[in-house]
Amino acid sequence: MKTKRYAIVLDTRRCIDCKACTVACKAENDVPLGEDKHRNWVTQEPLRGTFPNLGQSFSPSQCNQCANPPCNSVCPTSATGITPEGIVTVNADKCIGCKYCMLACPYDARYYNEETGVIDKCTFCIQRVAVGRIPACVETCPTKVRVFGDLNDPESEVSLLLAKHRYTVLKPELGTKPFLYYLI
Amino acid sequence: MSRLIDKKLSRRRFIGTSTCALAGVGLASQGRVLRALATSEEPLSGKLGDNRDVFTACGMCVNKCGVIARVRDGRIYKLDPNPEYLKSRGMLCARGNAGLNQVYDPDRLKYPLIRVGERGEGKWRRASWEEALDLVAKKMNEIAEKHTRAGVMFASTEGTFQEHFFLQMAECFGSPNTVRHPTLCLSSNIQGFSATFGTYPSADILNSDYIIMAGANRSEALLTPDSIDQLKGDGGRRKLVYLDPRFTKTAAKADEWYPIKPGTDMAFVLAMIHVIIGEGLYAKDFVATTTVGFDELAAHVQQYSPEWAEQHCQIAAADIRRVAREFAKAAPKALFYPGRRSSFADDDVQLRRAMAIVNAIVGSWDTEGGLVPNSVIPLSKHDYLAPWYDDVPERIDKDSAVFLSEKDGSWTAMRDRILAADPYAIKGMMVYKQNLVMSVPNRAKTLKMMKQMDFICTIDICMSDTAWLSDVVLPEATYLERQDPLESLSGVVPVVAFRQPCVEAMFESKPCLWIMQNLAKRLGSEIAETFDFTMDEHIHHQVSKNPQILKDLKKKGVYYLKVEPSYGLTQGKRLKTKSGKIELYSENYASKGLDPMPVFRPHAEVPPGKFRLLVGRNAYFTHGTTANNAFLHELMPENSLWLNPQAAQKLGLRNGQPVKVKSAVGEGVLRLEVTDKIRPDCVYMAHGFGVLSKGQSLIYGRGACDAALIEDALEPISGNVAMHQTFVDVSPA
Repeated sequence: MKTKRYAIVLDTRRCIDCKACTVACKAENDVPLGEDKHRNWVTQEPLRGTFPNLGQSFSPSQCNQCANPPCNSVCPTSATGITPEGIVTVNADKCIGCKYCMLACPYDARYYNEETGVIDKCTFCIQRVAVGRIPACVETCPTKVRVFGDLNDPESEVSLLLAKHRYTVLKPELGTKPFLYYLI
Repeated sequence: MSRLIDKKLSRRRFIGTSTCALAGVGLASQGRVLRALATSEEPLSGKLGDNRDVFTACGMCVNKCGVIARVRDGRIYKLDPNPEYLKSRGMLCARGNAGLNQVYDPDRLKYPLIRVGERGEGKWRRASWEEALDLVAKKMNEIAEKHTRAGVMFASTEGTFQEHFFLQMAECFGSPNTVRHPTLCLSSNIQGFSATFGTYPSADILNSDYIIMAGANRSEALLTPDSIDQLKGDGGRRKLVYLDPRFTKTAAKADEWYPIKPGTDMAFVLAMIHVIIGEGLYAKDFVATTTVGFDELAAHVQQYSPEWAEQHCQIAAADIRRVAREFAKAAPKALFYPGRRSSFADDDVQLRRAMAIVNAIVGSWDTEGGLVPNSVIPLSKHDYLAPWYDDVPERIDKDSAVFLSEKDGSWTAMRDRILAADPYAIKGMMVYKQNLVMSVPNRAKTLKMMKQMDFICTIDICMSDTAWLSDVVLPEATYLERQDPLESLSGVVPVVAFRQPCVEAMFESKPCLWIMQNLAKRLGSEIAETFDFTMDEHIHHQVSKNPQILKDLKKKGVYYLKVEPSYGLTQGKRLKTKSGKIELYSENYASKGLDPMPVFRPHAEVPPGKFRLLVGRNAYFTHGTTANNAFLHELMPENSLWLNPQAAQKLGLRNGQPVKVKSAVGEGVLRLEVTDKIRPDCVYMAHGFGVLSKGQSLIYGRGACDAALIEDALEPISGNVAMHQTFVDVSPA
């Protein structure tokens, strides 16, 4: 059987900025409380226009699970690794909390967890995926902004979405090869 | 003021600061909170190896969504949505996810408390349940002796599934003075739609092609399944027209947003009716067979042209005309959304009548994509024989509204009568989880009313402002620790929900039933007998006619009969109106001296230099009850005052500066948020802040309380409060 290649496809037009994903992630992954501690987030984009002609978008995001992750190459202790399914992980035993990876990540997806002394980030809820479940942010979302799946399976929902719709990735010019796809 | 916006910057800034400074933020992770709780006076009830997945229903707001609690080593570590639970469409919002912090909240009530200092001073002593309940029973009896049993009032929350036991206590104790939340919420809505259709229907949002929402912010005031269907059903064919003085997150998702002048929605709706009838766009067969009073309506709305409406609601006549035409064209898969909370202006019942009528004339009734009468799955009721007392008078707020609910009362009318002791005195308050200090407008009056009380007992899970001002505070077990009765939730697709304990109740907290049973024992055998059952017996009685309900609930956490909506069930049948038809003209209203059809009368203009204060929800908080939840607190640590840049410039005020907001009944200080998202003649603040209770440690001292500012104007038909009729001054603090 072919190895899986996990990805998340986001349709941000559905996002209502309710923050269910952020709280679900914090609970699932025991992320410490505090505004700057989070594995995923929703950014309120600046208001467009002036009263009464206004528009606003909401941009949910998290670790892009890059195929070519800058956080990996700067890590002095090889704490960062990539699973065969493409999930970028942090080995807590090896991490010394030096924060190089935080500076290297162009998506600001990593944070320092004082409780563990380790840099932490989204792992697509690897503990859930391992037992056949989907990431907490995907499952809990009221409007189903995110779809999680295997890009190596041409019949998977993520593959079908990317086949059918136009999409973009964040900062493609950096060559990080993200696996978070945004429908446009 | 959502704070996650700046997180990227802040993280980068933090890299440059020391770790010590970071640790100084002082917010503990759940892990740390759990450990702290575990090492406090009592151990956690959990056991290593106690791993279970428990079906239950969320208790964070009114929606009661389906939840699977993941219990690991005896602790709830995660709440997940139940995919089988139709009503919530397999989702769980931020509040639902944050529910586990209700259980492991260091601020939660742990033991019965008896006040030792002055009221509101925050001095308590821990008491045993025996002592606390003895005292409550003694005080209730003393007040009953002196002032009759009506001298004790009972204010109740709803949605805990156990409020029925609290209301049973009120009835068996013999007080007619129960009060619940509808007159702070949707009583005018229920009245207006029921007067027209004989019932308050749901909206089949999922299948509708054209939706007009006015005063219902469904992307923030989450209502399942409506909030979800609003986006889910959209495949590019759906149109959402949204009327709101604020650019909310619903506005951000709408196809068209109109910042309507508050209090003029009725003018918009009447002009729509004018166009639809005038241009012959109404559903002629439907109107002829199913409604009464069309000719009267047609004559009545002749005066309400779009050009006339534009003068009032400040929406261009051309837009009103176009929206009316598009709406009629999309009908019957079109709906003017009824909304839920309707406590806006003192003519709200007539506004809701107008909204009901515009749906009726295009045939958006009991049909796919339109308004649909609710179905409900029957459960057997728990019967009891309440003791009879001879000398008890009628409700204190009797006749304060044309259609007053016997059980719900009218909150502000009742408070006025209590303050005036008219026609008799109420000296005792029993409160079940309703945070009335925070939720009833004109807080100064509420505080005065409480001051007048000889005795106040509050049952809650946290030290709410109401608990803070009580004499006895009793800790209830949270919704994740209780076995609750089954609850039948009506809807287009009705379900039955239930709750089972995910973990044992922590500390000395007890479920409401236990508290009522043990209080009843102290109030005499006649009352105690009505509570002589166990929760298990109660539940089995509920399903005695259909045991499958309980089997399904245990197996998949929800019971339902069908997954698809049924339409047309009322076709050819009598509706529950006087005429048995949809009443465009209401004989019933006419006979009571009310306008039989909605008549627009302009409201007071905003005085120069002042602003209209608006209220409204966000997706993070449930009224005044969850702002102190650690998970939610960090999403919005305090509220701010929205003010349009034009107005801010005129006043010389800057974004972020503290400002004083002052109304005729109160004032508050909070930070200014200068934003284009609001009309220049209005200001807005989120609900849930400016608390009095120091027992809400995360939010005490933060933001301002809207209830302190809002005046208590009354909608006279339903007894609902009118929350958008307060004008405020804004000045530098």
